Amino acid sequence: MTTRPSYVGADVARVEDDRLLSGRTRFVADVSRPGMLEAAFYRSPLPHALIEGVDAGESLRLGRVEGVFTADDMTDVSPFPDFDEYARPVRIFPLARGKVRYAGAPIAVVVAPDRYLAEDARDLLTVDLQPLDTVASVDEALAGGAPLLYPDWPDNVVIDFPVNNPEAQAEFDRPRTLTVRGRYEIGRHSGVPMETRGVVAEFHEGRLTVWTSTQFPHIARSMLSYCLPLDENDIRVIVPDVGGGFGVKAEFYVEEVTIPWLAMKLGRPIRWIEDRREHLVATCHARDLVLDLEVAMDGGGRIRAVRGMAIQDLGAAEMYPYGFSPAFTAIGHITGPYRIPHQSVGLLAVATNKTPCGAYRGFGIPEAAFAIERLIDKGAARLGIDRADIRRRNLIGQDDLPYTTSAGAVVDSGSHREAFEETTRLTSRRTEHWRSRLESCRRIRVGSGVVNYLEGVTPSYFMTTGHWTAYDSCSLRINPDGTVVVSVGVSTSGQGLESMLVTLAAETLGVRRDQVRVVMGDTDLTPYGLGSWGSRSTNVASGALRIASDRLLGKAFRIAAHLLEASPEDLEVYDGAFTVKGSPGPSVTWQQVATAAGIRTVDLPEGVEPGLEATATYEPPGIEHFPDEFGRVNAAATYTNACHAAIVSVDVGTGQVRVLEYVVAHDCGTVINPRIVRGQVVGGVVQGIGGALLEKFHYDEWANPLSTSFLDYHLPSTTEIPGMVVLHFESPAPEMPWGAKGAGEAGIIGPAPAIAAAVEDALSGMGIAEVARTPITPPYVLELIRSAGG
Amino acid sequence: MKPVPDPSARLAISVSVNGRPTERTVESRKLLADFLREDANLTGTHLGCEHGVCGACTVLVDGQPVRSCIMLAVQADRTEVTTVEGIIPEGGLSPMQQAFKEHHGLQCGFCTPGFLMTLAGVDPGEYPDEESIRVLLAGNLCRCTGYEGIVNAVMAAWGGER
Repeated sequence: MTTRPSYVGADVARVEDDRLLSGRTRFVADVSRPGMLEAAFYRSPLPHALIEGVDAGESLRLGRVEGVFTADDMTDVSPFPDFDEYARPVRIFPLARGKVRYAGAPIAVVVAPDRYLAEDARDLLTVDLQPLDTVASVDEALAGGAPLLYPDWPDNVVIDFPVNNPEAQAEFDRPRTLTVRGRYEIGRHSGVPMETRGVVAEFHEGRLTVWTSTQFPHIARSMLSYCLPLDENDIRVIVPDVGGGFGVKAEFYVEEVTIPWLAMKLGRPIRWIEDRREHLVATCHARDLVLDLEVAMDGGGRIRAVRGMAIQDLGAAEMYPYGFSPAFTAIGHITGPYRIPHQSVGLLAVATNKTPCGAYRGFGIPEAAFAIERLIDKGAARLGIDRADIRRRNLIGQDDLPYTTSAGAVVDSGSHREAFEETTRLTSRRTEHWRSRLESCRRIRVGSGVVNYLEGVTPSYFMTTGHWTAYDSCSLRINPDGTVVVSVGVSTSGQGLESMLVTLAAETLGVRRDQVRVVMGDTDLTPYGLGSWGSRSTNVASGALRIASDRLLGKAFRIAAHLLEASPEDLEVYDGAFTVKGSPGPSVTWQQVATAAGIRTVDLPEGVEPGLEATATYEPPGIEHFPDEFGRVNAAATYTNACHAAIVSVDVGTGQVRVLEYVVAHDCGTVINPRIVRGQVVGGVVQGIGGALLEKFHYDEWANPLSTSFLDYHLPSTTEIPGMVVLHFESPAPEMPWGAKGAGEAGIIGPAPAIAAAVEDALSGMGIAEVARTPITPPYVLELIRSAGG
Repeated sequence: MKPVPDPSARLAISVSVNGRPTERTVESRKLLADFLREDANLTGTHLGCEHGVCGACTVLVDGQPVRSCIMLAVQADRTEVTTVEGIIPEGGLSPMQQAFKEHHGLQCGFCTPGFLMTLAGVDPGEYPDEESIRVLLAGNLCRCTGYEGIVNAVMAAWGGER
């Protein structure tokens, strides 16, 4: 009997690359429709103001302008549905009604034959704004007599979720307990994909077609149906190629309603492509979270409990569906992969006059990892224990599995200690290498930091939205020539989902990879699903695919057995053909089976209906959707783990931090394509380095945005990026199809705490205070050195 | 006071785009990128920032890499412009494109044409090592790959030529 090679785990190039490399792509800006008009938004230049009036006279006198519209015109549009019971209702409306709460909020939209004219007309609008006092920080928002963003609220608090777990509190009162406290801030930054957002809409014969650069086509359709007077049946959402999402395109935006509404109103196709300046003020920001925490340890550094608060600056809070959810996810991940038996961490989320916060890759977990890792380093220093030893005393080991964290996460597999030991060994060797190499530079100091984390993948969506749960779907259709169409509810934004699905379809159905075509991102052609975010796509799409293919294969085996005059149980299928197991004898191809099912139906066995199609949904087992009174919930399908290490140099004269080398030991269970997983990890790490060292949306003291171009918002480039070592561990998830976990977000979680620890290590002996916030800029490093008297 | 010239005044230009003579009448303010995308229907050139930083819109003008988002179409009159569509061999990928594929030098593909055009416009002999290649590519931003695959692809493709 021949051994079949498996497609799973094969290190092969992606199927989507030829198209992407040749310019034969179709991004939303490339969509053009006959008679199409273009739109430009007038966005508030003020962070907080009442809208007294919009005078379009001069714009309209420009000629060829098709119209200027404000909230007053959108009388047939419903505001977005509101979050869940925890939060105050925000009632997001497509164009600002009555007031604006952040600079960048859309007040009016102008439509003209081309974008140049639309922008000319936009610039000629006279908008009468009455400035209001602003709220530029959490402290200002909470101060007595603070200006109110939402005048019908008593204060600026969006969500107040205190937690008081007596078991956690009791640990702090035990004798001989060391308590260590810190306040850790991850600065405001975001995904900033290279492709901005964009929407094209066309209304024809009562049917709306919307092309939008989103991570969730079906949810976008549901939202459109909610806001516009249309049934879901009347709406088709098409997601063209997406130039990066990173979470910011897993929000549903006001422009995604306004442009379709214009197409309906004017009866003409409308296109809007966000420019970069708009993107930096109108696409969601993220992070901007403070974790004020305290841990209780015994004398050996074993952590008994963690308590405190997550405090989130939400900006204007007008973001759907996420907003405050990353802060909840941070609380759910606060213990990381450490045995911390009790926690009591609450959330306070506050509205300020900044761009609304929402989703960004990592989604609260980078914030959690930064805080707990910093506290562990601080505890080690207080107890005089080595930073590696204190981690060894707290890390989950194989004997602990399955382990339920104090946040309720059920960790059933992983390589927490193994990944840590391997990374620590390699990092200490490499750190010595760099120290000796840079020894002669008197101003340069070298240090390293090693951190661990867990990432809950495929999270419950119900926890965020009060709708949906965690499922997704897959439909398989075998064409009469034996080729396969895989259509799924998930939707790619460049990660390689097409390759992943081709691989798994070929694996399960026994077809060749070139026989498989993947369809996604079109609500007319794919079954309903929740889209691609939360490192969920591999997990949920592969689960649905496996169920659908099992159903389909049952029938295909019956047909093949009939054609071969054999018994279905004796057959196997591989490389496009059905054969009798262990026999070199006759075979029938998928094409013959499919032809019998679709065309030569006289060849079907008795009782078998024509056609070869199956659709399945998959809801991962074990996910909980409701937290208990202390916020505990197993809100994810499974947990990827990793250990990260940064080796940095710090110039004590300039404060400049450079990452010299970066080590990752990563475990996302079964790896379907190692090349793609490595790409996800490395790409995530580099975004993490950006957030740790470079990226921040700055505001002045009146909440005016200062980072509105790539000259002021710094993305990492080739020259900031270190050499990287990526070690793969494979601890398959026992409950998941193929044992695969998720890899999309993991890379971004480690850099901030690893680099912070490395900077402290480099400056050890100088008496600096802890590195407690990001980005770790040269002025911040110099401030730390100066405060220490260095 | 002198009247301000009308930026929407239309001018006739003649540009060789990927070897094809292209004569159009365009507004004097029209960006080269928009001319290529809208008038020449070559949408492989992408706009990532429209202020000359990200490099996604890089094309060659008379063989030199330029950012087509901060150059006017009228400035390209009587030049030869090459876009990503112009560097694909018949029925396959160029060695550099093949190297990007093999080394996972792209994910979403939005920035990729800009990288390919920056690379197409320089002499590989002037970039003998990884450090010099990193400096060359520092003007093109990529948000997906972390650059590792891109740098490896270039080293492999140019290593083969040397």
